[in-house]
Amino acid sequence: LKHVEILDAKTKDKLCFLDKVGNIFTFNPQWYPARQSIRLDPKGKSLKDEDVLQHLPVGTTATFYFRDLGAQISWVTVFLTEYAGPLLIYLMFYFRVPFIYAPKYDFTTSKHWVVHLACMCHSFHYVKRLLETLFVHRFSHGTMPLRNIFKNCTYYWGFAAWMAYYINHPLYTPPSESTHTQTLNIQLHIFCQIGNFSIHIALRNLRPPGSKTRKIPYPTKNPFTWIFLLVSCPNYTYELGSWLGFTLMTQCLPVAAFTLVGFIQMTVWAKGKHRSYLKEFRDYPTLRSPILPFIL
Amino acid sequence: MPSSLKARTSGTTELLYESFLSRWLVIAVGLVRAYLARGSYHGLYYSIEKPLKYFQTGALLEILHCAVGIVPSSVVLTGFQVMSRVFLTWAVTHSVREVQSEDSVLLFVVAWTVTEIIRYSFYTFSLLNHLPYLIKWARYTFFFVLYPMGVAGELLTIYAALPYVQKTGLYSITLPNNYNFSFDYHTFLILVMISYIPLFPQLYFHMIRQRKKVLGHVEEYSKVE
Repeated sequence: LKHVEILDAKTKDKLCFLDKVGNIFTFNPQWYPARQSIRLDPKGKSLKDEDVLQHLPVGTTATFYFRDLGAQISWVTVFLTEYAGPLLIYLMFYFRVPFIYAPKYDFTTSKHWVVHLACMCHSFHYVKRLLETLFVHRFSHGTMPLRNIFKNCTYYWGFAAWMAYYINHPLYTPPSESTHTQTLNIQLHIFCQIGNFSIHIALRNLRPPGSKTRKIPYPTKNPFTWIFLLVSCPNYTYELGSWLGFTLMTQCLPVAAFTLVGFIQMTVWAKGKHRSYLKEFRDYPTLRSPILPFIL
Repeated sequence: MPSSLKARTSGTTELLYESFLSRWLVIAVGLVRAYLARGSYHGLYYSIEKPLKYFQTGALLEILHCAVGIVPSSVVLTGFQVMSRVFLTWAVTHSVREVQSEDSVLLFVVAWTVTEIIRYSFYTFSLLNHLPYLIKWARYTFFFVLYPMGVAGELLTIYAALPYVQKTGLYSITLPNNYNFSFDYHTFLILVMISYIPLFPQLYFHMIRQRKKVLGHVEEYSKVE
């Protein structure tokens, strides 16, 4: 049996000393487990929940360093909130709820078919995201810092309002493209939505329920997953494609801006994920790019 | 920033700051001469319009200096200050002819000029390791008056520009158009004015805190004696 002492990572004060360590313990009721970051080195990486004391490189008295991660909130809560917002906000603009547009337009509907279609696509997109959050995704970390919910909601809700305002505006100008081109745009959007969903399912199936294992994703029988041959994070690739289709379909500058900003953020994430794949797996396929085949 | 790079650039930086300093002195001299020639302070903007535009835009380099590390100031604060000045110079004063004869323009030009002369003197002498206490004191004391003065001049100028912007629809895009986008410069200017409320106190209190740090310990020594 080992003795365990826990020091504050910044001040090096001794927070507690345990001479008999049980299997599970919490030493301070203020700092619930999700807030605790315990490490072997004050500046090092946090130990994982699954790490076992016996297997750690410590002597008979194990010294751990503690850092408070600040108030935490669960990923599921954040996702549900940030996705429910755009769904409802867009619909408010679509139905031309009072105080948005001039009073004579209250509760009227647009005469352009593309506006109705855009509403269906946008709403379906966020319903899909909400359902995926509840039933598909398996999260590595339970929580994230509380301030993230304000940042994320401002982003999603703000952009949704900005886009919805113009698409559902009484003076909206629909694209002059032929129906044929418009059909292609819609098909692109739908194709990529299915693709994105396929990737989410494939990633979920890599990880058995309740576990946090990490494996290299490979193409499955579903043709939408064959893109794994060329790309590490095809979920982001498909997401870009969806919004590109939506931008072309609506020909609205704020939508283009939202697509661009999303693309930049997803590229940053994809590159990070790609790098950790390369670090973790020595046999990682060399043909793959982070987000765009051969390009990025 | 690697010390070797710092050593190589310090000579150039001093020259750069001396040139910035002399430019603002040019503006100051220009203002004084025009005032003496005309006998009044109305319309002095026109006498220094071109140098002001060149030098204030040149200050964009300042952001680069902070990013690279030649100057210890924060990139965010400096960037914000430079952008707001460039905005005032080009997007308000230059763009709206009618405000150019306003006294509020003179108010912020004088505030900027005095601030920059002191600031560049401070940097130049610091780099030469020969900083007179007076300059350091001036840099961290004059702002008490110069900041509010500059802010007042800026806000009054933007406020004066509002009716003309609304009348002419300057820099604004209306619906309907093919990009399904709109922008109202008049509303934007009002939002800019409102943003001064949270932002100006932060800058002001930052300078007050800096003052305590820089001038504070000198007072402690004199207390000990």
